[in-house]
Amino acid sequence: MEALTARALSKNYRTRQGTVNALDRVDMTIGKGQLFGFLGRNGAGKTTFIKIASGLLLPTSGTIQLFGLDVLGHPREVRERIAIVPQEGKPFYHLTPREHIEEYLRVRGASAESAKSTADELLEAMGLVPYSHTPAMLLSGGLQQRTLVAMVLATGAEFLFLDEPTLGMDPFARRQVWEVVRRTVKRGSTVLLTTHYLDEAEQLTEELAVIEGGHVLYKGTAEALKSKVRREVRLHFAGGFTARELEPYGEVYPERGGLTVMTTRSRVEELTRVALERRIGVNVGPVTLEEAFLTLVGRSIEEDEPGGAWA
Amino acid sequence: MTWRTQANAVGRICWFNGILGLLRSPLVFVALFLTPLSFLFFLLVVAPRAELPYGVVGGVLFSCLFTGSGMMNDCAYLRLERQMQQVFITSPLRPISWVLGMALSELMFTIPALVLFLGVLTLVKPIGPSSFLALIGVILLTWLLASSLGFLLSTFFRTLREIWPIGMVVFTSLSVLPPVFYPLAAVPASIRWVAFLSPSTFASQLAVNAAGLATTPVPSLSVLSSAAGQLIGLVFLTLTFIAVAMWLARWREP
Ligand SMILES: Nc1ncnc2c1ncn2[C@@H]1O[C@H](COP(=O)(O)OP(=O)(O)O)[C@@H](O)[C@H]1O
Ligand SMILES: [Mg+2]
Repeated sequence: MEALTARALSKNYRTRQGTVNALDRVDMTIGKGQLFGFLGRNGAGKTTFIKIASGLLLPTSGTIQLFGLDVLGHPREVRERIAIVPQEGKPFYHLTPREHIEEYLRVRGASAESAKSTADELLEAMGLVPYSHTPAMLLSGGLQQRTLVAMVLATGAEFLFLDEPTLGMDPFARRQVWEVVRRTVKRGSTVLLTTHYLDEAEQLTEELAVIEGGHVLYKGTAEALKSKVRREVRLHFAGGFTARELEPYGEVYPERGGLTVMTTRSRVEELTRVALERRIGVNVGPVTLEEAFLTLVGRSIEEDEPGGAWA
Repeated sequence: MTWRTQANAVGRICWFNGILGLLRSPLVFVALFLTPLSFLFFLLVVAPRAELPYGVVGGVLFSCLFTGSGMMNDCAYLRLERQMQQVFITSPLRPISWVLGMALSELMFTIPALVLFLGVLTLVKPIGPSSFLALIGVILLTWLLASSLGFLLSTFFRTLREIWPIGMVVFTSLSVLPPVFYPLAAVPASIRWVAFLSPSTFASQLAVNAAGLATTPVPSLSVLSSAAGQLIGLVFLTLTFIAVAMWLARWREP
């Protein structure tokens, strides 16, 4: 059975400036026990989908079911089976990570003993043991986020929605979260997580959907997505070239204030030489999910994000 | 989840949000005492001796009414800024249990002030055990009324900035304008019914009655003169606010 089925799901937000079409007739299925990822730029529609799927937001039209239950028609039954890490959620100021996990589990109906032993396990797995008795207000943003993720993953709910769960975490902490997410899926949960980290999408999810402008542009594995790009090498120039100059070598995209061209191995030397003659920095690498995304969407996943990392 | 587990969850929310919140922010504790204490001081200085008990009962009600302000602030804050409401209601917890847990938390915050005012009341107007119990009943009803109104209001906000002015307008006009701190008798008899446009007047007249102070007739609407009429009015308003809040509550943003 499918864990999630959405049919022609649309959401229009009405604002003073006009109507924003955040989701446009989206069809989506996620299998039971899957670790599924939504990959997309800021504003693509990922959070909107999660809010609708978890019953926090009404769609404009379309249907969505969780475990065969209509989310709008059976909110109570659906809510008993889910848990969510909202984007930009924050823990309570005055409670410690341990209290967050234990109290949340007990509110959800767990006994004191099982809440305690689950908290022990999660605090350990998420690297929160040294902070387990520190009120959240004294923790860094990354540790607060880990606390939030820990309390929600601790539920082991049948369907877990994780909206940008590793936002603002250092790489080590992100890998800890990935480990716990994998383990939770092994124990039978279905996970839908959103991310705009390509490595997260590639290394963590079993299947992913690329979302842009409220549309699903791709659904499948990260491997299959990468194989859609026929070129082998990507070159990024910080400046000094025009798009027209580069077009004969392959597909050109504006990226991080410069230009990226995807080309074949045989042209690399020539392009590098010209760049060095012009005293321009050049960054050479293999085609990754990043280029696949660029090819599919036509824009870098970091676009619109001031200060996006220059890898 | 069964009723028992829901009740248990309500108790947990009250514990970690209300009691732990109170114990861990001593400044809140001070602030909670300070407002009613200032009022009491003010009353002692300006109120005529005979009207002092009305003022003290007013302090009790003021504290109850301001649980609604706290409710509005905290519910809006936990939904908009922390997104904790979303975390808690996407769970087996019923929305009404979340609201009740939050309301109980707010009651914890106001207990210090209530104890203070009730203590002073027994000094200025000795009351028997049955009156005391009746007064506790009115306190609980007023708390429920204010909490349901506070929660209802919290559901309308889209940003935290809207909260402060609305809270000031609503809760000040509930507690300062109507006869909460002064006797209803001070309102001219012909327009006394107007005071009952504010839900807090029902609560204050019941409290005055419970404390054994002289009550005031409402000539144009005599049903409002009786304790039974006032009680029914208060319960009706509270249930209405809860129902509207549950109906409108933006668990799902529009
Ligand atoms: N409450 C809202 N009111 C108006 N527009 C909104 C609201 N929430 C989101 N949007 C708009 O809808 C689009 C999708 O947003 P969102 O689902 O948050 O994307 P993502 O999570 O992929 O970054 C964006 O253009 C965003 O500006
Ligand atoms: Mg988002």
